[in-house]
Amino acid sequence: MIPKAFLFVVVIVYTAFAAGPFVWVATMSLRTTSEITQDHYAWPETLHWEKFPQAWFNSNYSVYFENSLLVVVSAVAVLTVVGAMAAHCFARYRFRVNRILYFIIFSAIIFPPQITIIALFQILVQYGLYNSLVGLTLVYIAVQLPLTVYILESFFARIPADLFDAARIDGYPEWQIFWKVSLPIALPAIATTIILNTILLWNEFLYAVVLITDEAKRTLPLGIQRFMGDQLEDVGMIATGLMIAIIPVVLIYVFFSEKLIQGMTAGAVK
Amino acid sequence: MPVAPRPGEALPPARALPPASLDRQPWGAIIAFLLPAFTIYIALTAYPVFRTLWNSFHKVLPRNEAYVGLDNYAALVQDEIFWRSVQNTFIWACASPLAEVSIALLLALALYAKIPGRRFFRIAWFTPVLMSYVVVGIVWVWIYNYDWGAANAILRALGLERWVQAWIGDPRIALPSLIFITTWMWTGFNMVVLLAALHALPSEVIEAAELDNCGWGAKLLHIIIPMVKPTLLNLLVLSFIGKMKIFDLVWITTKGGPLWSTETVSTYTYKRAFEWNTFDLGYPSTIAAVWFVFVLVAVLGLTWAFRQRDRLEY
Amino acid sequence: MRILSIVVSVVMLAFASTALAQVKLTLWSHWAAEKIKRDFVEDAIKRFEAANPGVKIEASWYEKNALYASLKTALRAGTAPDIFYAEPDQVEYMENGLLLDLTPLNWSAIEPWAKEIWSYKGKPYGLPLEASTVELYYNKKLMGEMGIKLPASLQLDAATMLDLVKKARAKNLTPMALGVGDRPFPGAYLTHEALLKKLGPQDYDKLLKGSLSWSDSRVVDTLRLVRSWAEAGLLPTTFTTLKLGEAHSYFHTNPGAVMFLNGSWYTSRAFNAPDKGGQPPGFALGVMKFPAVPGAACNECRTLSVQGSYVANAATKHPKEALAFLNSFATPAVANRWLENVLVQTGIKADYDKVGGPHAGYFRELQATSAGAKYYFGMPIQVMQGKPKEVFTQVMNSAFPAGSISVDDAVKQMNAAYGK
Repeated sequence: MIPKAFLFVVVIVYTAFAAGPFVWVATMSLRTTSEITQDHYAWPETLHWEKFPQAWFNSNYSVYFENSLLVVVSAVAVLTVVGAMAAHCFARYRFRVNRILYFIIFSAIIFPPQITIIALFQILVQYGLYNSLVGLTLVYIAVQLPLTVYILESFFARIPADLFDAARIDGYPEWQIFWKVSLPIALPAIATTIILNTILLWNEFLYAVVLITDEAKRTLPLGIQRFMGDQLEDVGMIATGLMIAIIPVVLIYVFFSEKLIQGMTAGAVK
Repeated sequence: MPVAPRPGEALPPARALPPASLDRQPWGAIIAFLLPAFTIYIALTAYPVFRTLWNSFHKVLPRNEAYVGLDNYAALVQDEIFWRSVQNTFIWACASPLAEVSIALLLALALYAKIPGRRFFRIAWFTPVLMSYVVVGIVWVWIYNYDWGAANAILRALGLERWVQAWIGDPRIALPSLIFITTWMWTGFNMVVLLAALHALPSEVIEAAELDNCGWGAKLLHIIIPMVKPTLLNLLVLSFIGKMKIFDLVWITTKGGPLWSTETVSTYTYKRAFEWNTFDLGYPSTIAAVWFVFVLVAVLGLTWAFRQRDRLEY
Repeated sequence: MRILSIVVSVVMLAFASTALAQVKLTLWSHWAAEKIKRDFVEDAIKRFEAANPGVKIEASWYEKNALYASLKTALRAGTAPDIFYAEPDQVEYMENGLLLDLTPLNWSAIEPWAKEIWSYKGKPYGLPLEASTVELYYNKKLMGEMGIKLPASLQLDAATMLDLVKKARAKNLTPMALGVGDRPFPGAYLTHEALLKKLGPQDYDKLLKGSLSWSDSRVVDTLRLVRSWAEAGLLPTTFTTLKLGEAHSYFHTNPGAVMFLNGSWYTSRAFNAPDKGGQPPGFALGVMKFPAVPGAACNECRTLSVQGSYVANAATKHPKEALAFLNSFATPAVANRWLENVLVQTGIKADYDKVGGPHAGYFRELQATSAGAKYYFGMPIQVMQGKPKEVFTQVMNSAFPAGSISVDDAVKQMNAAYGK
């Protein structure tokens, strides 16, 4: 047997490897660039907390943050409702085209973004939705729909059929069955998809870079990139900016880690 | 109002109506449930696919679109940059999953062996996945900096000066350097999944193997791996799909350079669509269309190959 | 009833006149980080607005890559601004009829070669505000420390150059700051200035346009010369990833290099305040000519190109006002003001003797390097398009100076790009 101590050492080393970069950025975010250029790896002597409000107000960070918040919250809300409805339908109703339709939506998970992005650009331009947060939100909904339906469908399918049969016998209309039976039981999976979609869309970059060019409409990942260009390698300031971008996700993670891990991995464990 | 029943409980009757036939399909409801999802899907996923295909047979300029038949496809066959980007992407999509999943398996086994603090480690190792590729890219450009980056600093501190490199500036090692980054990012995710899979294994089998005095290596090879094989394969496919799509990381770190050593299909498509001195969208659409077929074939191929070993249910 | 109709007509008249009076033009420009140029343009906007009440210009400032991306998509979407920054290599604008024909401008006030660079099918499309040469800046103090004396011609020969590189490295100094992390042209300066001198303007033009093979012995010899400098340690180790702004700082602030090969627009970043990326106070800046190449056809040849220009959107709703704004630049007074403040050349005809201002000394030094020069108009990436441009950017700008590709492979790749 491999001695536990050796395993422990391996694990510690890997943790340093996995979390190291993050810790490094955190320390740099509290030091000024001149301090950093003198020694890139020193622990901060004075904690320059004032850099955070500086980064927030002196660049357009508040704008980027709000845009991301708006887009992500709207997209996730619509995704959850629309995805749950479709998933419920696929899981609970038997009709001949059920599996075909499900496969059509599910297969979109493997589509590479390039196959849609050029045409999406053309479509949004055509309908005046280019360079608008509404357009981006709609695209985000479409992008995450297959995964949402997939995760929810497998969960809805596990709910015992007797509950539905019983409800139907009792004369409940379909809509109420969905609302009162499926949704409450599937709440854990729904919570998972909400968290998952939020994190994925919060960090999304490619669609945003193509479909948004207005400074005032940039989402956070675009804003960070712009911040990088603006600051001319002011490493300290960029590090602070990165921390502001990471913190919401970390907060979600800290509070919901178990649920998130369960959800993200539920689909993958067989 | 009736409340959601706990599993096992019977629902209280709503009202005195004749029981609905269980054979009649409520088509109205079905359509109502599916309509929003399919509207969005058709408008923003299915239709764009066809539009891109249509584009690929045209020269698409701001003021006019001209039909060019197979010209774009012919040009694509000759395009060395395209084929280089295909090669790079495939290498990435094959190497990274193998690295991620194998390291993840070892780590999962380490945690499974009940070392102290494993809840903390599980959470800590998952964090790289949460960061946006933009953040990851910026941090790793700093890490790979030749003069003061952590990679070279550590090598110098260990006395390994000879191994100090321009990690993303040298065409020979730029791609492996980026593959290293995605491995760093996704190993934690894979590990968490595998750990869950390991916990789901019937412990009697593992304990029985221990009693049989099997060597550690034999135990791994003959018992554990076969039992988590479905999960392993699933993770490999997921990772493969993810790497075929990669764009953000390359865009922030090397933008496809140096000398196209990190050019991926997605960066090349973007450049042809938005950065070359032309407005034509037809040629990049051709790249996208051909790549779409490649990805489908690759994923179907992988799934079929793995299906022989074990049934993957959708 | 009468009073009502009077009130209505008065209100309508007021609306109409304000609608007529207030014309708003939108302007998108590069130079967000180059304060001097930005100030110049904003000043020009203010002067124009003062001279033309009723016209307001709203300027948005970008970094170049972001600007190009936004413009490309905005032009397609029909949401592009009335006036925007462009450089002459963006022929796709003209090919697709997206620019306003600028023939009505006062072209007698503009240098003919600058007009020529912006002409497409016989019509001019851009106001050539910024022109630049490639200059070899150097740190006078460091040069002195290495005991290299500049001849009166301001041009070292190739052997002295190599010697300088070796001496600098011996003192642990980087001989030349240069970085191609975020731009497709700085690395190529080394090769194309040398090639221009060796081949002379006509053959150099042929080389760029594909009618002269890169395997020509003169080309190969020049590439070997540049390679010899690079192998002696000319460039920083971070050359491939060093960004333009960082390269400036590398030269004059930290860690400091002996030379810096850059466009003459160097000063628009360098003369900013130090905390905005500018030179430290008391920096001894010198300018010299690019080294002479042995066996050259024309050692006094250099590249002169038009860079930052302003163009008008063909779809603008206010063509008259847009043209008027662009025309407001076409006077010697504006050109002189540009030269005095921005210290970089311009495509507008200027009164060179009258250039004064606080940096007149630097300006005279700059003029000295162009004394007796013969010009080739246009940078390689402005002259090349499509595949050759892409290969040139990857090979000549980045890989070849960095040493990642051999001379023979570089030649092969360039020839292949032209389909040879």
